[in-house]
Amino acid sequence: MTSATARIGAGPAVRRPRHRRRLVAWLFIAPLAIVNLLVIGGPGLSSLLFSFTDWDGLGQANFVGIDNYVELFQSPNVLAAIWHNLLWTLFFLIVPISMALLGAFLLSRLRRGQVLFRTLYFIPYVLATIVSATVWRQILSPDAGIGAALANLGFDGLAGVNFLGDPSLALGSVAFVNNWQWWGFLLVLFLAAMQGVNPALYEAARLDGANAWREFWHITLPGIRPTLMFLVLMTVIWSFLVFDYVYILTQGGPAGSSDVLATVLYRTAFSEQRAGYASAMAMLLSSISAVVVAGYLILRKKLDWDV
Amino acid sequence: MHQKSKRWGAAVALIAAGGLLAGCASSGSSGDVTYWSAFVSKDTERYYQEHYVDAFNEQSDDAKVKMEVKQLQNLGSLTDTAFSAGRGADVVYSAGPSSALGFASAKRIDALDDYAAEYGWADKLQPWAYQASQVDGTLYSVPVEYGSIVMYYNPGVFEEHGWTVPTTLAEFEQVATEAQAAGMMPVGAGNSGYQAQSEWYLSAFLNMAVGPEKLYQALTGEAKFTDPEFVDAITLFQQQIDKKWWGGGKDRWFTNTDTDLFTGLADGTVAMYITGTWSFGDAGRYFGEAAGNDAEWDWAPLPSLSDDVAPGVYPMAIGTSLSVNSASKQADAAAEYIDFVIDDPARSYDYLAATGQNPPPLSDIASMPDTVDERSARLYTDAPESGNLGYASWTFFPAATDTYLWSEFDKIITGDLTPQAYLEGLQKVFDGELAAGKVITPFEPVPGA
Repeated sequence: MTSATARIGAGPAVRRPRHRRRLVAWLFIAPLAIVNLLVIGGPGLSSLLFSFTDWDGLGQANFVGIDNYVELFQSPNVLAAIWHNLLWTLFFLIVPISMALLGAFLLSRLRRGQVLFRTLYFIPYVLATIVSATVWRQILSPDAGIGAALANLGFDGLAGVNFLGDPSLALGSVAFVNNWQWWGFLLVLFLAAMQGVNPALYEAARLDGANAWREFWHITLPGIRPTLMFLVLMTVIWSFLVFDYVYILTQGGPAGSSDVLATVLYRTAFSEQRAGYASAMAMLLSSISAVVVAGYLILRKKLDWDV
Repeated sequence: MHQKSKRWGAAVALIAAGGLLAGCASSGSSGDVTYWSAFVSKDTERYYQEHYVDAFNEQSDDAKVKMEVKQLQNLGSLTDTAFSAGRGADVVYSAGPSSALGFASAKRIDALDDYAAEYGWADKLQPWAYQASQVDGTLYSVPVEYGSIVMYYNPGVFEEHGWTVPTTLAEFEQVATEAQAAGMMPVGAGNSGYQAQSEWYLSAFLNMAVGPEKLYQALTGEAKFTDPEFVDAITLFQQQIDKKWWGGGKDRWFTNTDTDLFTGLADGTVAMYITGTWSFGDAGRYFGEAAGNDAEWDWAPLPSLSDDVAPGVYPMAIGTSLSVNSASKQADAAAEYIDFVIDDPARSYDYLAATGQNPPPLSDIASMPDTVDERSARLYTDAPESGNLGYASWTFFPAATDTYLWSEFDKIITGDLTPQAYLEGLQKVFDGELAAGKVITPFEPVPGA
């Protein structure tokens, strides 16, 4: 009887916990999934629908087919903004990541003072964007900023340089300010990742006569690859979503020279009151992020990355 | 017992959730008339709260207004967002009749004709403002703040250089030329920190160089923005910017702020500053004892920059309009409060005297008290009497046209766009909005005023 009961119950006894485990897992996931569906899926779907309409944000939305998307790719302002986003992405893939990698590598070799420097570099990241942007607007002012201060000391190389008011300098100046805040954050992440690399590898490399550059290239970089790849991926996505520094410092000007997709979108939605067209821009932004993530996933699979 | 307590728990959770949702729907109690507003300073807010909201609540038997103060910069977008979700306050703020038109088209605000008849609003308000607040002959909003664009100057500086206030193109050019020769910025201009600031100067220039009659024709579709008068006006503006008369030219335009320009006017480095009368209230910060100098400011109506335009044009701007939310359960009380805001000229002019805030466009200009600063009082008596009224772009241009006007104007300043191409783009955007019924009907100008 006992053995029969045990035999009869053997199947369910194995299956039931698995079902139960799945059920419990789903129950835990469900609230978050529902919230995500409501706050991301719902608005995302409605944006997709509105992107095919002439909705002004208040009244009736009339279906206009793909007109908004056609206009999007014919608008010189939107195309210029996409180009600026690409330049921004390139800048942030190269400058802050290089600075942070180098800084983190050098700091990782420090025996004393590492915490102090790490804190100093990280401070800009914890400042509110509006605060740091406002301070930098003063610093970059041609009348009261760094150029004028240096001119007073006899160095007039930057005198009168209008960093934010010159169309040829505005985008670069905003990127510089954003980088000032950003690279310290990357440094801290890279430093944390570097501290997870097995020290025995460095010792072995030194015994083999490797110099610092070879250590960095052959041990550090492969060792922090998961972190590096994640931050590269996020840098690309964030570069297309950039808004705050551009809006506070130049609002996309002068003459659209620092416009990025997000500032054009904001102006289209809230100044022009063309919510349907702005939704098409939002779809474009989402699509770019989706392509980046998909590309990353494909690469990861093909190259067998462990992240 | 265990099951029972679970049920109780669920019931409590449901009630709590319901309460939270109800809280999202309205932040006032059921009998309150909600009103979202924004102020330039805490002092102004306190004055308004005491003399309008509290005063109304004291004299009203049943209706009680609950004012929620928002940020000045985003009151409009907050209202838009709330309305797109079918919510918003009972008394609806809009930044003038063009914004109110959007609410009216979406049927988010009530027609006010019955209230207008009950409270006699057509008699209380100046005709141009009443007319501009109508949509297809129906009143949808009540203007509660209005102003204009004028030319600020420093009388001491003008006296020192032997200048008189320019009224014609020749006089304007003479003052500008001499000011530049004296190392001054002839006309203050700039848009650092607020890109749309360019439209203050553009609105002024169009009214000075094209004139109200031609602007009226363009706004009603009888004329085009690509007509020679407009092309000539933008070309003249571009030439004057290239000469560095306005804002010091393209090298400085994108760096100058409103504060820089008033400071320059006070210290004699800026000769003239053409901007809105909303600065009457705080111009004093830059002049006299408060600023540690002995400078003074005054203003004059805009000069004419064309033989076809009469000097002294006042581009009219309605800064704030109030409407009644069509979803409001307190519609009558909301209308009662709107009437309270414009009902008593003495209250409006006392508010002007105490805070410098623009008053409603009231028909009664005779009861302006002596306590109002002479310069402010002069505007609110002279403008209606002159009849030479023009159109401020942010009040009379529809949203996308207005945005194009100031955002693309940057390219005129930098020389990346020709006046012809700029105006062709403007006309194209305007055509779309005119066809979509998004343009308010402007008041008719007085010919040759």
